[in-house]
Amino acid sequence: MRSSRSALLLAVAAASGRVRDHARRLALATVAALALVAVSTAPAAAYAPVGVVHTERVQAGPYTVTVGFSEWPLRAMQSLDFTFAPADGIARKSGSVTIDGPGLDAEDRETPLSRHPRKRDVWGLDVQALPEPGTWSFTFDIDGQAGHGRGTLRNVTVLDQPGPPLAISWTVCAIPPIGMLAYLAVGWRRNKPSERVAALV
Amino acid sequence: MSTALPVTSTSRASQPSLAVKVSGSGRTGPIAANTVLAGTTLSLFGISWDIQWHVDVGPDTFFTLSHLMLYSGSAVAGIASLAMVLIATAAQRAGRPVDQFPGGKPVRVLGGVFRAPLGYLITGTGAALFLLFGLLDLWWHSLYGFDAVLDSPPHIGLFLSICFTMVGSVIVFAAARHTRWGRAGVIVSVPVLIVFSPITTKAFGALPLPVEPDLVGNVLFSTLLLILGTLTIGRRITALTIAAALGALQLVLWWFSPWAARVYADATGLPLRDNLGDDPPELPSEIPVFMLLAAATITALLWLSRKRGWSGRIAPQIMGAGGGAVIGLSLPIQSALLGGSGPASAELLKMTAVGLVTGVLAGYLAARLAVLLREHSTASATKGR
Repeated sequence: MRSSRSALLLAVAAASGRVRDHARRLALATVAALALVAVSTAPAAAYAPVGVVHTERVQAGPYTVTVGFSEWPLRAMQSLDFTFAPADGIARKSGSVTIDGPGLDAEDRETPLSRHPRKRDVWGLDVQALPEPGTWSFTFDIDGQAGHGRGTLRNVTVLDQPGPPLAISWTVCAIPPIGMLAYLAVGWRRNKPSERVAALV
Repeated sequence: MSTALPVTSTSRASQPSLAVKVSGSGRTGPIAANTVLAGTTLSLFGISWDIQWHVDVGPDTFFTLSHLMLYSGSAVAGIASLAMVLIATAAQRAGRPVDQFPGGKPVRVLGGVFRAPLGYLITGTGAALFLLFGLLDLWWHSLYGFDAVLDSPPHIGLFLSICFTMVGSVIVFAAARHTRWGRAGVIVSVPVLIVFSPITTKAFGALPLPVEPDLVGNVLFSTLLLILGTLTIGRRITALTIAAALGALQLVLWWFSPWAARVYADATGLPLRDNLGDDPPELPSEIPVFMLLAAATITALLWLSRKRGWSGRIAPQIMGAGGGAVIGLSLPIQSALLGGSGPASAELLKMTAVGLVTGVLAGYLAARLAVLLREHSTASATKGR
């Protein structure tokens, strides 16, 4: 009797131990999953503020505009933020900015002056890339209570793109499609679909 | 002690593993194929949402919801593909015949360690490549920042990886073309690939070409896939059905992409951009809207080919020329209707010629790829289901 009770107690203890093990593992897995979700979703809510590291001034008629750059020196293909801040604010003003430089599509040159999505008190451009190195310019056409003004920030130098040469990056990215084409070519040679295409239609 | 082991091994031998049991179930094929299709559809909706997010709102990180949707699409397809490869391998090791296993003819992988149905091998390879290119993309963003360039090398790698998964999905469904779910899958998976595949041609956007490469890509892939689906299933109205499915997909994306971008902006407290105007949604408006006309042309030329007894060596190129010319002609008209400048007659002529030539190539390739797809049919395993 005593021995059967102790066996039962042992079985219960072992079972509860297994349950505890499972529960511990489950809890650990849940905590890990929640941590992963928390880590992965936290940056989604934390959009980086616009950090201006360099400024230039442009006189557009009666308006003085401070142009802010998120990176300096500028490099081609980088994701950049630009801010355009008139001295007395953007209220009751409108206009456009025309960017000119090598490799830019014609339809992307002129855009209306819009508030920067992450810095709403000034105009700006967000996640904008300048495609090629060279000399670039920014021309502002502004209409406001003081009338129309036009001014250009000239000779903005854009250096070569960061990182390895583009040819290397493109070569790495071309490996999978080349591999797939090679696989298709082998299948094509083995199966000779051209010989059986006549009866297909 | 010595008697326990043989008993255990006998009982194990008489009880096949779960994977082997699953391999024999008639529901395994459609469940796995539709899971992969759900994954590729998630990827498609994720990319359309993400592009629209950049247009309408802007701020970006690696973990925006649209990015997560994009990643989860490849994850879902990849896990389903891995499961099917492992199930096929387990079945083969248990001595079950796997020649007719769903997903296409099995291929020996790693010297025969695995038996992978061709379709799932390609869907899984695409998902694995997506992971690798995702890491490359993360490194790229550490150098270049987030995320101004759509056609960066890692992005093109990611798009190609998703395309591989979508191509594999078409192979999986084509292998079951003798079943209703197989044909329905071809009719849905082909439009998904038609929408997604032209994005990869943005890799050539910086080259000084006489025609925009994404326009050529649009004509090439839509004509090729329309004819491929038609000749694989072999029914006269298939092209029209695929075009109708594409139109439905376009309508849903047209509604979903700006809606999701705005709802997510509201949820995260971000404003919409100033001066948005009334431009149509970015990705859905690039899908050819006159595909039903192209499909009707292809269907008519297929009917004519059969009536006149034209050889399959030439008929697909004729179908491609007709369908490609219609799509090529329609693209500048579509652009004008959706707010662009009115098409000049020279532009219409040029795009019709580009469509015609590209369509001939598309028809040539489509017919031969259809032969390969039809030979990968697993008819006896799936017939009648």
